[in-house]
Amino acid sequence: MKGHTRRDEKEQPTLLPSNIQSARELKPGDRVVYPNQGVCRVVGLEQKDIAGQRLEMIRMNREEDGAAVLVPMAKVSSVGLRRVSTADEIESVFHFLAAVSADPELDWKVRHRDNVERLIAGGVLGVAEVVKGLHSLSRIRPLPTKEREQYDGARHLLVSEVAVALGVPGNLAEDYVDHALNPPTGTRFQLKPPPKPIEISIPAYRRKKPAAGEEDLGLDELGIELPEEAAPAEEEEAQREGGAEAGEEASPAARDAEKPARPGKAAKPARKAAAARRPRPKAARKAAPKKKAAKGGRGGKRK
Amino acid sequence: MIRLVTLAPFDEGDIAFVTRTLFQAFGLGTEHVGERKLPAEAESSDDRYDGPKLLEEVSPVRTFADDKVLYLAIVPLSMKPGPLGEPPCYGFSRYGGERAVVSSALLPPRGVTEASIERFRRRLARESVHYVGHLWDLHHCLDARCAMHPSWSPLLGDDPGFELDSFCRDKSEQRIRLAKT
Repeated sequence: MKGHTRRDEKEQPTLLPSNIQSARELKPGDRVVYPNQGVCRVVGLEQKDIAGQRLEMIRMNREEDGAAVLVPMAKVSSVGLRRVSTADEIESVFHFLAAVSADPELDWKVRHRDNVERLIAGGVLGVAEVVKGLHSLSRIRPLPTKEREQYDGARHLLVSEVAVALGVPGNLAEDYVDHALNPPTGTRFQLKPPPKPIEISIPAYRRKKPAAGEEDLGLDELGIELPEEAAPAEEEEAQREGGAEAGEEASPAARDAEKPARPGKAAKPARKAAAARRPRPKAARKAAPKKKAAKGGRGGKRK
Repeated sequence: MIRLVTLAPFDEGDIAFVTRTLFQAFGLGTEHVGERKLPAEAESSDDRYDGPKLLEEVSPVRTFADDKVLYLAIVPLSMKPGPLGEPPCYGFSRYGGERAVVSSALLPPRGVTEASIERFRRRLARESVHYVGHLWDLHHCLDARCAMHPSWSPLLGDDPGFELDSFCRDKSEQRIRLAKT
């Protein structure tokens, strides 16, 4: 229980306007969205004895399968319960889904952590961001199993909320979502400016900044190797310009160049180039002509 | 069991190909029950048929628990437009429902050559697997080679695959195992 208290103090989720601040706002029959669970219908209040304590709880039923969800009254605001989005909010989500996607985050650790936070505290737009981000990533390369599951989960949450908000069956809602994500060839939507993406407040102690030299762009996974010469050239240019600003602009590359090359990843291209320049060993050079000569020789002998 | 009902005359070879494909995809017996009339109530002013309404109004087929019914039509279908307009409607079915309808109106023309007939059959079989898949709670799939990939996606080639990928196959097998019968 101690751990829970400390966690609650440090990790207060971002409160959106649609979030429910207090249990008093809820009444039986209300539809709410429980992060990571989906749309639930409030059944009522009930008291439960748990670990010798009498707790007052809100009972809800998950609409998808009727599973019971119990939330202590005191935890209603901290678990991130929120009202089902309105039709207008859903429309703006569709404009966001159909807009040109930004480059996906390539560092899987950062991506996964951000996605988890968005699903919990980002509201319907946060869920849409996860769906769109992973969908655009899947266009570049197949998603690993964990992210495929995360994508399916997020998509499922989005589809169920769209279905409830627009009052359509789930399969139609899914068609609408896919129509926005994968428009048929030749389709052009009249898009409004998409809403601002949700800013996720991740506690500072959980945000580990990667060291400058170890910045992983995920290029190895894609099979792309950066040429080693690029960094010093940029550094030289920056020095020629002489300005402090120019130095700052080129700082990540310059910092990398100043650092001694790591034997593992950075030295790879250099090693390959050196191998290409190196003359072939004498034995190898001799072996090839010898074979031909031997063939010719043998033939000559026969003649 | 999957029961196939035609809402217009279809070639026997096409029906045989669809039943065989459905059996391979879901491991369930599939049979052609017969032909029914299109319900006039589902027809809209633009000469299309409303997908959800068609399934409500069409004359029922005798089924047992967990049977699925697939209606094959040639008329164009429509659905309620979404926030960005109406997606192309190749068919309609509800998750976990009992009935699905597939239309051949948006498929490549059947033609008379062997190649065009084969292409038409494969596409019809793909859409049949797709909408019966929804009846077994399968959702759309990311993999463009899977039959559950959205039917209008630009990632689908001229001859899209009509098989389920391993992810969807596992899910459908699990659902079928959990079914009452």
